[in-house]
Amino acid sequence: MLDYIISIIPQMLAGCQVTAQVFFLTIILSIPLGLLLAFGRVSNLSLVKHFIAFYVWVMRGTPLMLQLLFFYFALPSVGIRFDDFTAAMIAFVLNYAAYFCEIFRAGIQAIPKGQYEAAHTLGMSYVQTMRRIVLPQVFRIVLPPVSNETITLVKDTSLVYVLAMNDLMRTTRNLVQRDFDITPFLVAGVFYLLATLVLTVLFENLEKHFSRYDQ
Amino acid sequence: MKKIEARNIYKRFQNLEVLKGIDLEVSEGEVVAVIGPSGGGKSTLLRCLNKLETIEQGTIIIDGETLAKDTGKGAEYASTEDARRIACKMGMVFQQFNLFPHMTVLENLIEAPVQVQKRNKAEVIKEAEILLEKVGLSDKRDVYPRKLSGGQQQRVAIARALAMKPAIMLFDEPTSSLDPELTGEVLRTMRELAEEKMTMVVVTHEMGFAREVATKVVFMADGYVQACGTPEEIFENPTNERLKHFLNVIKK
Ligand SMILES: Nc1ncnc2c1ncn2[C@@H]1O[C@H](COP(=O)(O)OP(=O)(O)O)[C@@H](O)[C@H]1O
Ligand SMILES: [Mg+2]
Repeated sequence: MLDYIISIIPQMLAGCQVTAQVFFLTIILSIPLGLLLAFGRVSNLSLVKHFIAFYVWVMRGTPLMLQLLFFYFALPSVGIRFDDFTAAMIAFVLNYAAYFCEIFRAGIQAIPKGQYEAAHTLGMSYVQTMRRIVLPQVFRIVLPPVSNETITLVKDTSLVYVLAMNDLMRTTRNLVQRDFDITPFLVAGVFYLLATLVLTVLFENLEKHFSRYDQ
Repeated sequence: MKKIEARNIYKRFQNLEVLKGIDLEVSEGEVVAVIGPSGGGKSTLLRCLNKLETIEQGTIIIDGETLAKDTGKGAEYASTEDARRIACKMGMVFQQFNLFPHMTVLENLIEAPVQVQKRNKAEVIKEAEILLEKVGLSDKRDVYPRKLSGGQQQRVAIARALAMKPAIMLFDEPTSSLDPELTGEVLRTMRELAEEKMTMVVVTHEMGFAREVATKVVFMADGYVQACGTPEEIFENPTNERLKHFLNVIKK
């Protein structure tokens, strides 16, 4: 059994690499996009606000699986074709940006009006107020929900198997079917658990760091 | 020299007229107490002075610079840049303190002088330490606001405003959200400021403070300045009926 596990590790690690790529690219792109959308959502530009609200509704109101299939299979019929990785990234980034937008919006709206007023009376500009006063407080507030989303994303990456991408999930399934042995499922489970454990510890430390001014 | 000249100020929120032609003049070194029933427009007046609210009509001149000018068909404001610069000639102290919770006491004090006024950080820190000593909170230099009592937070807020070297200090009911035993320490700090000839406008329900410290008392109700005069004129010989009624009510 141990020999078998060692023999499949290289393939499984290759699958992890695809999974990690999807994960990191989604995080790196969707968090800034989500923040940008959140600023639009709390702005007083009515058209922008409503458009983003609609966008968030669509992205959160339909399954991520459907969105993946749409970008890969449906768009080519109107002449837009992406390779499977690009299609997957578009779906993941647009989907997660919608969730992050809502998280950041709630965070920004949780900052009391008095903070803006104090900054105003101290002569701070809008950008200074956001950068120095509002966002540092928002980051602390949103850390728990962002942590949740991030851990969900680790598991959601497995959805890319519908596009025939050789991520950890698909690699595992292929091995199980080839060898008539369910051990790869267990190994994959351990990989996912390790990834979520690392993230859990990371976010716990971040929360501790940011909550120092609460004590 | 006049530090604040506000003439014929009109301000409304939707259909609610809150300021109906207010005049307020404050000379250098004066301490003006603004008293009056709740909802009379006292906070709104202060907030109009530093453009936390914008006025519909009237003229506001702060320390010789025009923030808003009456054109005959409404108030015309200085450019955003100028308005911001003029507004922060006035330090403001709020009822709810509004300290920045993610910054230590010292960081609260040096934030705007360093970020906005672009002053030398080491120098600003030195001045901030002197200010903290003045308000009696040197030992709280590296503490986060949440650990402080209300009275201590309010004294930090006063020090934070002073760190900008303002020409004028505005106070909006600085002791109203404090437990009675904590108001003394804040009032003492304000008294000391008055003794140093800081120009101050103080909205307050502390009649003792208004009587003893103020050089001028303004009584506001229903969006008008109903009476204005020395503490003796206001408290000992009130002539305005509205004022007499107000003083009777708060005595009880
Ligand atoms: N932002 C606002 N929007 C609508 N109405 C307001 C606003 N701020 C104050 N008001 C109203 O204006 C009136 C005067 O309020 P305020 O200036 O706070 O009075 P005071 O400070 O004398 O108690 C009140 O009726 C209050 O409800
Ligand atoms: Mg008020």
